[in-house]
Amino acid sequence: MDKTHQPPRRAFLKGLGVTMALPMLESMTPLRGATKRPAAPVRMAFVFFPNGAIVPSWKSKGDEKNWKLSRTLQPLARHKDSLTVFNGLTQHHARANGDGAGDHARNAGSFLTGCQPVKTAGAKIRVGVSVDQAAAKLIGSKTKLPSLELGIERGRNGGNCDSGYSCAYSSNISWKTATTPMAKEINPKLAFERLFGAADKKDQAVRNRYRKSILDLVAEDAAGLRKKLGRTDQRKLDEYLTSVRELEQRIDRDATRLTEVPEYDVPEGIPRELKSHVRVMFDIMALAFQTDTTRISTFMLANAGSNRSYPMAGVKGGHHSLSHHRNDPQKMEEITRIDTFLVSQYAHFLDRLAAVKEGDGTLLDNCLILYGSAIADGNRHSHHDLPVVLAGRGGGQLDAGRLRTYPGETPLNNLFVSMCRMAGAPTKKLGDSTGPLKL
Amino acid sequence: MNSSLILSIVHGRHVGALYVAAVLLALAVPNLHAAERSRTRRVADDKTFDTLILPIVKKYCVDCHGKDDPKGKVSFEDLEKPSQIVENREVWVKAFKHMGIGGMPPTNKKRRPSRAQEEAFVEWLDLKLFHCDCDGDVDPGRETIQRLNRTEYTNTVRDLIGIETDVAKDFPSDDLGYGFSNIGDVLSLPPLLFEKYVGAAEKIAAAAVLTESLENRRKRLVDAQLKITGGVRATSEGWKVLYSSGSVYGDYEATHSGQYVIRFSAMADQAGPQVARMQVRVDGRSVKVFDVPDRRKERTFEVRQHLNKGRHRLEGAFINDYYQPKAKNPHDRDRNLAIRSIEVQGPIGVAPPSSHRKIVFTRPSKGKSVAQAAREIVARLLPRAFRRSVSRGEVDRYASVVELAVSRGDSFERGVQLAVQAILVSPHFLFRVELDPQPDNATSHHRISDFELASRLSYFLWSTMPDEELFRLAREGSLHERKVLDKQVARMLADPKADALIENFASQWLNLGNLVEVKPDPKLFPQFTPALRADMIRETKLFIRTVFREDRSILDFLDGEFTFVNERLAKHYGIKGVQGEKMRRVSLPASQRAGVLTHASILTLTSNPNRTSLVKRGAWIVNNVLGLQLPDPPAVVQSLEDGAKESGVSTLREQLALHRAKAACASCHNTLDPLGFGMENFDAIGRWRETSEGKPVEAGGTMPSGESFSGPVDLVKILKRRRMKFAKLVTRKMLTYALGRGLEIPDSCTVDNILDDLERNDFRFTVLVRGIVNSQPFLYRRGEAAAGK
Repeated sequence: MDKTHQPPRRAFLKGLGVTMALPMLESMTPLRGATKRPAAPVRMAFVFFPNGAIVPSWKSKGDEKNWKLSRTLQPLARHKDSLTVFNGLTQHHARANGDGAGDHARNAGSFLTGCQPVKTAGAKIRVGVSVDQAAAKLIGSKTKLPSLELGIERGRNGGNCDSGYSCAYSSNISWKTATTPMAKEINPKLAFERLFGAADKKDQAVRNRYRKSILDLVAEDAAGLRKKLGRTDQRKLDEYLTSVRELEQRIDRDATRLTEVPEYDVPEGIPRELKSHVRVMFDIMALAFQTDTTRISTFMLANAGSNRSYPMAGVKGGHHSLSHHRNDPQKMEEITRIDTFLVSQYAHFLDRLAAVKEGDGTLLDNCLILYGSAIADGNRHSHHDLPVVLAGRGGGQLDAGRLRTYPGETPLNNLFVSMCRMAGAPTKKLGDSTGPLKL
Repeated sequence: MNSSLILSIVHGRHVGALYVAAVLLALAVPNLHAAERSRTRRVADDKTFDTLILPIVKKYCVDCHGKDDPKGKVSFEDLEKPSQIVENREVWVKAFKHMGIGGMPPTNKKRRPSRAQEEAFVEWLDLKLFHCDCDGDVDPGRETIQRLNRTEYTNTVRDLIGIETDVAKDFPSDDLGYGFSNIGDVLSLPPLLFEKYVGAAEKIAAAAVLTESLENRRKRLVDAQLKITGGVRATSEGWKVLYSSGSVYGDYEATHSGQYVIRFSAMADQAGPQVARMQVRVDGRSVKVFDVPDRRKERTFEVRQHLNKGRHRLEGAFINDYYQPKAKNPHDRDRNLAIRSIEVQGPIGVAPPSSHRKIVFTRPSKGKSVAQAAREIVARLLPRAFRRSVSRGEVDRYASVVELAVSRGDSFERGVQLAVQAILVSPHFLFRVELDPQPDNATSHHRISDFELASRLSYFLWSTMPDEELFRLAREGSLHERKVLDKQVARMLADPKADALIENFASQWLNLGNLVEVKPDPKLFPQFTPALRADMIRETKLFIRTVFREDRSILDFLDGEFTFVNERLAKHYGIKGVQGEKMRRVSLPASQRAGVLTHASILTLTSNPNRTSLVKRGAWIVNNVLGLQLPDPPAVVQSLEDGAKESGVSTLREQLALHRAKAACASCHNTLDPLGFGMENFDAIGRWRETSEGKPVEAGGTMPSGESFSGPVDLVKILKRRRMKFAKLVTRKMLTYALGRGLEIPDSCTVDNILDDLERNDFRFTVLVRGIVNSQPFLYRRGEAAAGK
């Protein structure tokens, strides 16, 4: 076959397994009826890492414009101009506040909500709506998927998760309502299919038609049943009805908008190697943003209090056990290696975003990708001066490349309020926020 | 004896006599439900407060916990009346926890109450704080509507539809509450899960009901379903052109094991001496090589191949690339292979699944309309799916889906598939619904319906839907009768499905699932292989199975002298004469091991990757054997090493001793540490050891109670003396699991009743199960206070 107009032999992108012939925003089929293409939207993601960090290795030093990346953040050096590094932010509701032990569960539960999780092993679970879901409520309908929740670890199989807190708190960071956590997808293939649908579009159209009829029927059943129940049970039926409605909306959007399935070689099942697993999940998030299939995502690099080991970073002990290092230099070194390893995966994700051209800049420019935790010092379980980094410029709204230092006790949620504004999902108050953060 | 007489005894002071009276009562009226018995043999009476509680507090507590700079900011100096205990509940719960584990008064205090006084103190507090009046109409509690968890979903689909499915493996994991994965309050239904239910229903319906004969079933993989390796270019006509060595492949899910026909649509560019060749591979294995002749002429290449049920990779590979760009003849420069589709047909000669015959037992025919046939089918399926009788209107609505499909030109069977899909995503299927006559009235107690009871029984003992016999008894309205109920419990426990109690209840209680996550350092423990891990889990499960199946005493968990090993595990334990993979029952070396506590599984899952953990093992025993509540650790913990450096001590035992010297730490560590030390003869993967790091293992210790022991078997004996604590723990755990909710204060009445029964009946397993099934909270429920109350 004539090869003059074909790509050089074997010129497929290595490593990522992605061809760049992706349907980028610019080439995407516009919404039916839309006459003008909207400016590139802001995408927002929240990446959680467990067990806090080694604070001295994490903290960057300097003043706002003249600053140096810390040891742990070194993998981000090539993106320094796109970063905003924060000092002084606090997640007050990760603290006990009279509830005793359980900092890890509280850390995950409060991280994106800024609310105090009710201490319970089961009954009356309640925390608050998380920032991603608050935003999804406002702008989620603009994309096929209102939001995308990703993770690496399944929930626990037995025992207690953390000192009297239900596992719902430690294995979720995204909360649709104060009582409904958004379960996360850990299987890359299933996440991919959820975003881009089955390969066979004709099948999908037929299937969607029948799905709608079935959903109508069962929604009617649920509404009827709901009337006969007490209020706690009604909340469960509300979860059901909300889920039905969301799926219906997605089916409608499927019909009005055509998303090509990106060419991406998704592995079957869950990759055994943690590094591959994390990378492929990040890749999928990048594809979701690139194709504007969703604008909001969360990602748990591990569940709160996770005790997995990181042999690829040369660390054999369990992460959580090591995090209580009691100032043992050897253990602190190992935790720093884990911290750096996780940051380097985040850096790799930023590489992906920065490699995609969008308008005059890159996809990363139009993003706000937060990376952090609501525990600062894992040894002592402190919840102030949190390790938090933000990447991207929010479509030019954020003056990046800065080290921002705030007075202690500034709520982390103030940053979320600012992020939501930039993402076009303004909310006055989120959890314990006291206003937008001065950026 | 009437109830007023019992009442007078209860509130009298003849506690001993009351106990006898209660026993007599129970024996006298054996047919009465436990739920209907009203006996309380213990109350936290005011007299004990005056004679015991107050004097102890004044004498031993207020020294440190007085008004003046009280330790832990807790003062008892103002205590005068018993009502203050409940008013200051939070403080007294804390006190109860500290006293319960023997942590207060600190053990280094010489002046302290006697052991008997301490026990009486703790019991009185327990009653005052966590018990309620068990006379009269005790609050049965209320279960939040329970979504089926992954296990229940899988089992229910198996029993309802008749097919085994693993679709639930892709569901998000069910979050645990109270240590179990069947807690209604915790089982949420986020959009992600609902989408998976919809997808799963489609898969299940497609596997259970056939829309065409299997022989004619064709699946054609094209476009994005076809993946590529090597140098490939896609054309707009759907061709994948292999211009260098590489392959085109697609994944196919074989629904059955059988013979399939696989067809490749391919063509080629020719160059060089050979004809282009395509190697057909199944799961990476070469099956056949075809010559693909001519220039760009599409042909079909067919192989017949046996495929096992499951996913298979079907692949066409270009194996003789040729490229001479400088060849004179432009048609002789480049050899390529192009593939457009891979089609699979079959399986051939496989009978339709029995699920199909069962569900589609009738079809429309002369004299039977589509609507009629659909209604017959749905009328048979729906009551079982919803686990209750259904209305005609409900049948009509689900049957209408079949009609809809037929009216759109699809087959009747396709319609039935859709009806099955609808049923599998209905809230009545996905939730275990229990209705209250007055859902908003928390004081209206009522007996649950027999259908609801059938589900409670089957999900408790089998983790699945009721079977036909339970449904029949529910329809007849006799299931709740004591005799019927006892007979059903016996039948259900004898059924193999009752293994669900091992897999779901006992494994979660013992945290066995966590063994999968534990990763002992392979350098230190090369013996710890996946096979050994599996043996450990099997050992514990077989042990549990034996206790359950042989209706043994639940105290066997503490000190059972038998276990199950195969050659590998026997070697691990140092037991001689066991050969082969098969697990068999053996006696344990009496001087080393007894009960579950000494199983390698438990010992490993309570260790760190590189060493044992005294605290983890201690906490495991406290949480899963003794059922004690641990107080929260003090806010600021000085690190062990810091303290150790200051004092110049080095061994872990010395370090921990230092820890225990601080009152704030000692409260817990006085209990945790000795329990952990008692297990020190076992290394981090549960092997017996006499030395550790070159030094002899010191496995002796003293409990806060003053009881001493010299090693694990000794410690187990001490634990066995606390049999009532253990029995209470197991009862509470199993009741939590059976009800799918956390226990509340009124449930303590049920727990006490069951404990009485257990004590009188050698702690036999079935006594526990029967006690739960016949209890007020299992048979009854109530409404819920309306919002704002």
